[in-house]
Amino acid sequence: MKTLIIEMIEPKRLGELVTVSREFCEKPDIVAVGSGQIPGSFAKAYQVEDTVASNLISDLASLILKEGYEIILLSASTLGSGIAAPLSIKLSAPVVSEVIGIKPELVVERPLYGGKAVATYKLKKMPAVLTIRRKYFEAADLQGFTESKLLGSDGKKVELITEREEKAEGIPLEDAEVIVSGGRGIGGAENFPILQTLADLFNGAVGASRGAVDEGWAKPTQQVGQTGKIVAPGVYFAVGISGASQHLAGIANAKCVVAINKDEEANIFKRARFGVVSDYKKIVPVLIETLKEEG
Amino acid sequence: MHIVVLAKVVPDYEVPASDFELADSRAHKRYKRMMGLYDENAIESGVQLKEKYSSTLTIVSYGNKDDIPVLRKAVAMGCDKLLLVTGSSDDASVIAANLKMALDSLGDVDLVLAGQQSADMDRGLVHGMLAEKLGFVFIPQIAGIEYLDGQWKVTQNTETGIRELECREKAVLSITSVPENVPRIPAVRSIFAAKKKAVDILPAIEDKAMPVDEVSVEIPKMESVCEFLPAEDDIAETAKILLRRLREERYI
Repeated sequence: MKTLIIEMIEPKRLGELVTVSREFCEKPDIVAVGSGQIPGSFAKAYQVEDTVASNLISDLASLILKEGYEIILLSASTLGSGIAAPLSIKLSAPVVSEVIGIKPELVVERPLYGGKAVATYKLKKMPAVLTIRRKYFEAADLQGFTESKLLGSDGKKVELITEREEKAEGIPLEDAEVIVSGGRGIGGAENFPILQTLADLFNGAVGASRGAVDEGWAKPTQQVGQTGKIVAPGVYFAVGISGASQHLAGIANAKCVVAINKDEEANIFKRARFGVVSDYKKIVPVLIETLKEEG
Repeated sequence: MHIVVLAKVVPDYEVPASDFELADSRAHKRYKRMMGLYDENAIESGVQLKEKYSSTLTIVSYGNKDDIPVLRKAVAMGCDKLLLVTGSSDDASVIAANLKMALDSLGDVDLVLAGQQSADMDRGLVHGMLAEKLGFVFIPQIAGIEYLDGQWKVTQNTETGIRELECREKAVLSITSVPENVPRIPAVRSIFAAKKKAVDILPAIEDKAMPVDEVSVEIPKMESVCEFLPAEDDIAETAKILLRRLREERYI
């Protein structure tokens, strides 16, 4: 099937979509969004520098119709969610968002009810637009680079004025092998540094639940969950996090979850590999001390 | 200025997975009905814009008449009007077509706000489809909105940071949650006043569903068995055991 990837030039995101594309074709085409070289080997590559989704939809639709693409793959990201739905209307194409599984014969899976259920759909018409949830597919190793053709963009509807990257201190959340996340149970912004200290000792990163972000204790870019970042670390410390399904949807592929919570009934213990029923203010400092002593 | 907020009433999204059950591939009817969580952020954002720019604020919903009492919460928070299209489809394209019909009936809409995604279907598609059907611009994951010099200046939260965008055209914005739009709790007096407010009801229009079949909906099993570490008396020992166990199983 003729497959088109539309994605920012970012090796991990591209790699995941390349993995997904192998379910549909040998070698996909790509519209690479942003500037820079396109890593990986694609049959045909187009590039567009404008990174604002709403400015791209008309041109993408024209290209897809002209070239006869059958499967359109995007990440479930700011860019992907900005493109997928309007594009599907332009193309009269079916769209399934936040796909977490792909089966033969155009059958795809996605979560419902905050991850408490999984729905299976069969696409009955092409082209079809899919957005893929991050971290559910291994990122393919991208070798070499592909030369691209510039894709025109006529008329900006939305102007990008400024863009500010929230620089994570140390290792980015998505790449961390150990994540220490805090929730409402942390009690205040002033208590987050202790989580950072613990994360640093593991060369890890600090995440947060939606509750902690809503309280203003952590940055939105630190939010882990269905509507935040999807992460897949080796160890995920959930500290003062009750474990709502929306949060668990962000850590479905974490290998080991360690839950630290005062409430032994908290839902997080149902997902955890190890549980400590305790005030985090008691156990976390001791964990830090022990790790320091071990050097 | 006329602002519309789209709101959807959903089954209680805080029901834990262990208590969650399906009936006919949808959440069992016994769960309490409530406003979607991001929808409440969108309503709060709309009310703040109303206060700032003296705009008219209309809530538009597609769903069941039985959910009107839940929708009234938006009026109690500060919305002027409720418009409900009665229908029961879960198809994103059908919902978007019906919302478009409702917006067309209002005539003069300048801005549409919606939650980033509904709290039941989790897909974040309806608002973007509606935008395209209306010929409006669609911008997702918005954390802040201002109207300056004839254009919308919006802040978008992306995976990596924050963007400021400007848009001169009519727009549909999906709203994410930030401390600035945590929904207000309406006063008791407003709740009572909202109960008397008239609701405009429109019957749904027919529209083609997307060419996608829902094959099945299932509840995945949570397979993890938690090993509880003793934490009553010697917390230092607990820490040591935890680290040892993590190493034994090669997680760290």
